[in-house]
Amino acid sequence: MDTQNLPVNRKESIPVARLLDRMADELELEVIAGFQGIGRPVLISDINRPGLALGGYLDYFANDRIQILGNTEIHYMEQLSMAELEARLEGIFAFEVPAFLLSRNLRPQPLFLDMCNRRGIPVLLSKTTTDEVISSIILFLADEFSPETVIHATAVDCYGVGCLIVGAPGIGKSETALELVERGHRLVADDVVSLKKQRGESIMAETSPVIEHHMEIRGIGIIDIKSVYGVGRVRNSERIGLVVELEEWNEQAQYDRTGLSESFVNILGVKAPYLLIPVRPGRNIAIIVEVAALNHRLKELGVHPAQELNQRLMNLMNQTNVD
Amino acid sequence: MKEITEELVIVNNLGMHARPAATLVQTVLEFESDVTIQKNGREVNAKSIMGLLTLAAAQGSRVTVTCKGPDAEEAMEAVRSLFETGFGE
Repeated sequence: MDTQNLPVNRKESIPVARLLDRMADELELEVIAGFQGIGRPVLISDINRPGLALGGYLDYFANDRIQILGNTEIHYMEQLSMAELEARLEGIFAFEVPAFLLSRNLRPQPLFLDMCNRRGIPVLLSKTTTDEVISSIILFLADEFSPETVIHATAVDCYGVGCLIVGAPGIGKSETALELVERGHRLVADDVVSLKKQRGESIMAETSPVIEHHMEIRGIGIIDIKSVYGVGRVRNSERIGLVVELEEWNEQAQYDRTGLSESFVNILGVKAPYLLIPVRPGRNIAIIVEVAALNHRLKELGVHPAQELNQRLMNLMNQTNVD
Repeated sequence: MKEITEELVIVNNLGMHARPAATLVQTVLEFESDVTIQKNGREVNAKSIMGLLTLAAAQGSRVTVTCKGPDAEEAMEAVRSLFETGFGE
């Protein structure tokens, strides 16, 4: 399976407006100055608290991040003289700053707002606490900047294990998914699966907002799994636990017969357990995927049936040798 | 293994909806080559109706078609003529 050449989309930047749009409800955000700069780009998925910069130390000032102003910064600014404050802010504004974000409904001095208005640097005000602001913004930015790709595959939640079924067109991915749904499992996406790296360690499979849980079955046409089977048989996203590739039974190929060794496939830099399943008339692929998912869960719980059987056999042989 | 890439424009009024997508899939399935369509950095397999629908390619959209395989030229010719005739709509 070729997962190395997937076209990977990674955002170079996001406008401050997107952050406002997505986080306005959660953080109760409003723009109180610099509205004309709402399209300014955020390039880095991190934040900065500019305490030292306000104090006049501008070496290593992480100016390219969203600057969070909490109690410390706002009250520090309040006890500066007007002349000092202006000089310190001039120092900060000599750098390109994407935006300021104030927590706890803190109102800064008019001079600060004036300077942001003149330079078109948006100032966002949140009613929530500083730690809530910081954790939400970092998670939001990490999610926005994470690499994503779209793959021709089918994703099903089978016993809680996200199974990504891949294989050539016409091999029976959709039919396998349909049978899994019929057997009580849940469809995530058919044919077009968006894959997104999450927090550097897992891959989330998502349905596309255009097609949602529609599926094309050759001979019938387009059906909607949510309408036919109900909302309990679909999910919008699921973490990928297992990649199953279906291929036409090849006499020359060597298929895994013991399950003692494990294969992995690399998707967006994340290692996912991988199984190659040969398809032949009379093989019920849905049941094979089901048992693969259950076996995967067993392994995650630390139970490895193939290794245990082998160990038992070796113990038995050792005893026989002693006798 | 030949690889051809061409930029094509959707000309029919309703854009790439289900019927043109099905016509395109039927056409490219006859070829051995892999055919992919790209729009705004999203790439989908032209042998998948659902994939084509996610592009939401309206009239006037420019898409990049890539044919890769032994019959890439013939496949591209068939795809081009479908686009030019507005998928027969």
